[in-house]
Amino acid sequence: MGRGTESKVVKDSLVLDGIEKRYGDFVALQRTELSIKAGEFITLLGPSGSGKTTILMSIAGFANPSAGRILLDGRDVTGLPPERRNFGVVFQGYALFPHLSVYDNVAFPLRARGITGAAARTLIMAALEIAKLDTFAHRYPRQLSGGQQQRVALARSLVFSPELLLLDEPLSALDRALRKEFQTEFRSIHREVGTTFIYVTHDQEEALTMSDRIVILDKGRILQIAPPAELYERPATTFVAGFLGKSNFLRGTVAAVADGRARLDLAGFSTCALDNGTGAQAGARAVAALRPEKVRLALPRDAGGTGPGRVTGTVAGVTYLGASVEVELRLADGQILLATVPAGQLPLADGAEYVASWAEDAAILVREEAAP
Amino acid sequence: MSAVAPSQSASQGERLYWLMMLLPCAFLALLYVVPVLNVLVMSVTVPKPGLANYAELANNGAVQRTLWTTLRIGAITTGLVLLIGYAVAYALVHSGPRERQILLGIVVASFWISALIRAFAWIALLQSRGIVNSALMATGLIDSPLSLVRNELGVVIGMVHYMLPYAILPLYTNLRGIDDRLVPAARALGATPSQAFRWVFLPLSLPGLIGAGVIVMIFSLGFYITPAILGGGRIIMVAEFISVQISETLRWGLAAMLATVLLGAVLMLVTWLSRFMDVEQALRK
Amino acid sequence: MSAPGSSPARGVTLPRLVAWLAAAFLLLPLLVVIPISLTPERYLSLPTDSISFRHYGSLVSDGRWTKSILDSLIVGIGATVLATALGTAFAVGAWRLGVPLARRLRLLLLAPIIVPPIVHAIAFYRAWATLGLLDSYLGLILIHAMKGLPFVVLTVAGVLANLDPRLEQAARSLGADARQAMSWVVFPQIRAGIAAGAVFAFITSWDETIVALFVTSRAVTTLPRRIWEGLADNIDPAIAALGTVMILLTFVAVTITTLRGGKANA
Repeated sequence: MGRGTESKVVKDSLVLDGIEKRYGDFVALQRTELSIKAGEFITLLGPSGSGKTTILMSIAGFANPSAGRILLDGRDVTGLPPERRNFGVVFQGYALFPHLSVYDNVAFPLRARGITGAAARTLIMAALEIAKLDTFAHRYPRQLSGGQQQRVALARSLVFSPELLLLDEPLSALDRALRKEFQTEFRSIHREVGTTFIYVTHDQEEALTMSDRIVILDKGRILQIAPPAELYERPATTFVAGFLGKSNFLRGTVAAVADGRARLDLAGFSTCALDNGTGAQAGARAVAALRPEKVRLALPRDAGGTGPGRVTGTVAGVTYLGASVEVELRLADGQILLATVPAGQLPLADGAEYVASWAEDAAILVREEAAP
Repeated sequence: MSAVAPSQSASQGERLYWLMMLLPCAFLALLYVVPVLNVLVMSVTVPKPGLANYAELANNGAVQRTLWTTLRIGAITTGLVLLIGYAVAYALVHSGPRERQILLGIVVASFWISALIRAFAWIALLQSRGIVNSALMATGLIDSPLSLVRNELGVVIGMVHYMLPYAILPLYTNLRGIDDRLVPAARALGATPSQAFRWVFLPLSLPGLIGAGVIVMIFSLGFYITPAILGGGRIIMVAEFISVQISETLRWGLAAMLATVLLGAVLMLVTWLSRFMDVEQALRK
Repeated sequence: MSAPGSSPARGVTLPRLVAWLAAAFLLLPLLVVIPISLTPERYLSLPTDSISFRHYGSLVSDGRWTKSILDSLIVGIGATVLATALGTAFAVGAWRLGVPLARRLRLLLLAPIIVPPIVHAIAFYRAWATLGLLDSYLGLILIHAMKGLPFVVLTVAGVLANLDPRLEQAARSLGADARQAMSWVVFPQIRAGIAAGAVFAFITSWDETIVALFVTSRAVTTLPRRIWEGLADNIDPAIAALGTVMILLTFVAVTITTLRGGKANA
């Protein structure tokens, strides 16, 4: 717990060097490279079966990679048994020891390290205090609420000042309000202890609110590693764009490329799109992602001008979301374009004609995901 | 997703686990399986190689009578036990918590009383100067004692008594697993109580009935103590017959052949049972 | 009759009647054993004028009964220790390895409860004669250990199957090595299962009759053998006294476990 936030040295604390996991013919994790900086809060995000838990269990030492190495500060820890890695793990469902009190659960890692007596007591009380559990020390896990159990699991994995804290979907058993509360709390505990947090989840909201960087995975491979805002603004693939929030996908032919921007021709309209390194060339097919909230709607008489980023359609459906409404606009070729616009500002009767438009930098070229 | 294989890193620990798993198996293979296989082999080698022992199945009247007695008593016992056991299990499922606890307590407790003690008690109750006959004669209902034991009736009473808990407990587990909204649902759809029972509840409890029936049959076929004591030497089932061949007439070959047939029948029943239910679950006390 | 949808049927229904009759039927012989044990006569009878504890006295004073009780205890304890050690070792090893072979081996370990007792009784008789183990404590302990083994495996494996494998992983991630994780976390969780398995193994040995009749004679005379012999010639009411003691112990044990189980479920 000694490392303060300001002393964070930007160096790689944990490196996954080409690790891979196969079960017979089944590839759970394709060859993966990942560098995690010391003190970073990094989230592995993906649907189930994406390989995120395999990565976590490999780091923790419970799954042996079929190939590759895991380096901690340059030291190879691949063959080290879990108890010699000194990593904290918060398990899904917490895995609290039911026969031990809260105090003894937190004392467990110290006991395993031969720390007893007053020295242990001080550490345990400090950890319980951070987790706001000081008054529950002598209760047993079954006497605690889900949120309190979560705190015990956290205190237990932090009491021995681990090199890393690995969290495997720790909030999946809690209700929505508690999840929100813990998202804030994890961030503040992370700031307080300065330890590297590696967090696994399938919940995009948790990933976006807590992480320094997000690693997004699908089908056993990493698709993109980026800070939350960049991941949202500049998704690399159709999967990333669709998994984090909603997205329209505009598929067309590249008309021109220049200065990291492309022009895409579609059925009856065209659009500008940023090129985030897809290597698109004129004449090739390409797909641009366009967030619904970047699409503006106007009645045909109010919409002036022509040019890219402009298309006419009719309202095919409206979903009320509270502050905004999501409009399905049917284009001339039958495709649906989603637009999220402030509620109550436009008369959105079914069949009404509207012009949709968006800014030059609103759409971005993404790689097309291979069909599953 | 979370089913990640446990670490194989601690290979010396792994070797220990293999040792822990294989040592008890070796113990059993050597001291149990080999002796039993030896008996199976003896059925075709003693007194001389060949199938002569199996020919007795067709020729020997005593052997045929014994097998027939075993099958008949086994079937009667199974039928009675299922009938009574099903009613008890049904009542258990549909009774209040207090009543259920008392009934279950009685069933479980009687489960644990040794077969010998029970056979002793039945002798005391049923013999010609026993408690039942004395009571009946004292009230003047009968003049001479009824013959209630050392015959087939006594054997069946004792076996039904012994087997009932073996049927009630798995049947109860099975019936409790039936969604209790289904019968009301059938009633709401227009079925009478008896139709709801016959069309919904009974078919759903069929696997439990088959399982319990097979278990009772398996134990009945090989049963020794109860028939030997309550049969009083007049009703001889196959287990006692085998025992007599060994200890009195020293016909090892015949005994080994009957043991093989008995084991074969039991294994067939177990294999058949394993298609309906988890055999391990069924054998758990 | 009850309205559709009302769940527990109240009032006297046929199944309830049968259930209570069956319960009485199950209890009847047990209830007979108790008065017989109190008869002052030397032969099987119900006490008429007075009751006597002489048959309980003979359980502790008659040398043949005390030897049998002692023999049963020696064999039972020996077999229980062996069965519990081997059964627990197997269950834990198989659980930890999780290999498909483990499932098949488990069926092998169940053999002693599936094979009819008379079949393995003559098998042991034959084999133990060859090995020189007839009528010896070791010989009967080995057999009773094999007969108790499946019950230990079933109970311990049952508890392990419900044990969250993440508990062991958690212990390892917190710094415990494999042995510490086993003794600090896994063992405390399965202790109750091991104890239950041991009780099953002991009762199995305590009750075992058929094999004991074949492989023992004078040197080792367990209680079931003694009772069997008593039933064969003139029936001794001391059997009823012994039966009463065993019935009472059983009821106490069942009551305790039922009450404890009821509390744990609540």
